Amino acid sequence: MNFKVTEMDADIVVVGGGSAGSTAAITAQQALPKGRVLLLEKAHIKRSGAIAIGMDGLNNAIIPGHATVEQYVKEITMANDGIVNQRAVLEYATNSYSMIQQLDEWGVKFQKTETGDFDVKKVHHKGSYVLPMPEGYDLKKILTRLLRRAGVNVVNRVMATRLLMDGPRVVGVLGFDTREGDFVVIRAKAVILCCGASGRLGLPASGYLYGTYENPANAGDGYSLAYHAGAELTGIECFQINPLIKDYNGPACAYVTGPLGGHTVNAKGHRFIESDYWSGHMMLEFHRELHSENGPVFLKLNHLAPETITEIERVLHKTERPSRGRFHESRGHNYQDDWIEMHISEIGLCSGHSASGVWVNERGETTAPGLYAAGDMACVPHNYLLGALTYGKICAQNALSYIREVGPVEADADQLEGEQRRLFGPLSRPNGIPHHQFEYKVRRLVNDYLQPPKSQHRMEAGLNHFMHALDELEEVGATSPHELMRVMEGHFIRDCAEMAARASLYRKESRWGLYHYRQDYPELDDQNWFLHVNLKKDEQGNMTTLTRPVEPYVVPLEQSELRGYHALRIPRPSASVATA
Amino acid sequence: MSESNDRERIKAAQGKTVDRAQTTRRFDVPVVVDEKKCVTGCRICIDSCPVDCLAVDPRTQKSHMAFDECWYCLACELDCPKDAITVKIPFLLR
Repeated sequence: MNFKVTEMDADIVVVGGGSAGSTAAITAQQALPKGRVLLLEKAHIKRSGAIAIGMDGLNNAIIPGHATVEQYVKEITMANDGIVNQRAVLEYATNSYSMIQQLDEWGVKFQKTETGDFDVKKVHHKGSYVLPMPEGYDLKKILTRLLRRAGVNVVNRVMATRLLMDGPRVVGVLGFDTREGDFVVIRAKAVILCCGASGRLGLPASGYLYGTYENPANAGDGYSLAYHAGAELTGIECFQINPLIKDYNGPACAYVTGPLGGHTVNAKGHRFIESDYWSGHMMLEFHRELHSENGPVFLKLNHLAPETITEIERVLHKTERPSRGRFHESRGHNYQDDWIEMHISEIGLCSGHSASGVWVNERGETTAPGLYAAGDMACVPHNYLLGALTYGKICAQNALSYIREVGPVEADADQLEGEQRRLFGPLSRPNGIPHHQFEYKVRRLVNDYLQPPKSQHRMEAGLNHFMHALDELEEVGATSPHELMRVMEGHFIRDCAEMAARASLYRKESRWGLYHYRQDYPELDDQNWFLHVNLKKDEQGNMTTLTRPVEPYVVPLEQSELRGYHALRIPRPSASVATA
Repeated sequence: MSESNDRERIKAAQGKTVDRAQTTRRFDVPVVVDEKKCVTGCRICIDSCPVDCLAVDPRTQKSHMAFDECWYCLACELDCPKDAITVKIPFLLR
């Protein structure tokens, strides 16, 4: 088969035009007015990435007078049971406020107090870092305008399927046009991956493939691209699991309703968690309550003043997941009169919310030369939107220095032919297994075998299925470039499932609350497991596991502080009080 | 016998299964386009969709939901300049 080939050259190519990628491309192009910065987007930049429809707040704003950089680094270290590369978290924290000022300049509207100060809220267990952005639906429009003004070459509807290599060095991107089907070859001196979370990993309980918490376009593309380029991934066993409205993929309590007085309660109407901030420890208590005799769990707002509830609805029904109001309407319930049933999300990989991602240092460098990563896919724990924007900029700045020093790009022609054969293979099987059946099966198996609580026997059985799915992919067919996109996402999803199984099997202890709760090793074991578990592709092409030590802290914590997130359950009244 | 063969032939014709050994299934799709309001050649909603599930229907030249892959994010509905689109919550979640 011969396909039309589109070839392009760039100084820097950014893959993924969400929050991190847009910021990276704007930063790079502004520094290189005559340079060639190319932004590749699988969807269309005006509505792509995790915040396609905007975001209602910054969850990790470190604003002088409200929080310090050191406090934040400590809080994130304890929320992650100590397993963090503190230098990377510190670099984010140090640059966080200047990013907020930049957003302010760009016209992003933040909630301010009557005196004009940022109206910071406390949601985390210890400090105050949540800055509401009630008109955050504008954010993607603002970024799109800035990309145009900077003169970035934006290429929409092209999907990256592999990175172009020169030995160990990353020198570009291979992919295809999801509308026309052309094979796309981009040579570049440096590549910045900003492809978002692996959000299409677990299957939502509804069985609806696209009912995921994350934008379903974020199928783990970046995890797989980095892996096949030889880069290390880390903390993959620290899954993303979020508390959501039952059957609806929108979050409920913590960041919007919490500061306004909303409560997470059990079926008796009792609160049971100390802090609604999304940590694995909170999720473990949530999971326990859900499956106890006091389940299910509800979002309770009807004790609030009607005008407060109206304000909550105004934000929640307009930004991030604006179909939320329509969902409640279809169920015949509302925040004024009813408690809203909550549940937990399908599992995913996402460093924006937990800590599973591509290994990066404080310069945004991966372990593959020439390859940078930012946003949900790059492991800077709990980095959220502001972390994506900040690290997009950090990656661009460091890639700019890197391209000044490296030699010209050379890529061997065999790679192009090999990828063309692999990529377009499914089009030669129009009657092959349909992509949605393949995907449903893999993701159903992810639920069956990887959803915490985890155990060795279950995960090994799951891993066998995921290895068999590699053969099944050879039978999956496509009849159009659109279907081919879904088939290639099926490859990414399968790769991520294998990673999730292998990393979880390797770490023989429990850590991060529900995120890595193992029934066969229920205790946290610092003696043997105070380290990073990383994955990479070995020279034979197999997925291998390795460990890296946790580097000495730059912001020291007392041993007792390291357990700061371990007591998140509200203590039950003692027996004497109960019988009194 | 001949009668039952005949019935099978009619079933195949009605089900459009000839030369196409696939099952067909009807879906209740979330994105509903009001063809009277939708502007031919506009394509704004098609650009907006993060999962690219919308396309121009070649018969009507209007937008329609071509792939059952909607995230019900409302991008198409919010961006449509003619208010021609309504996104329903997918049936499985309603």
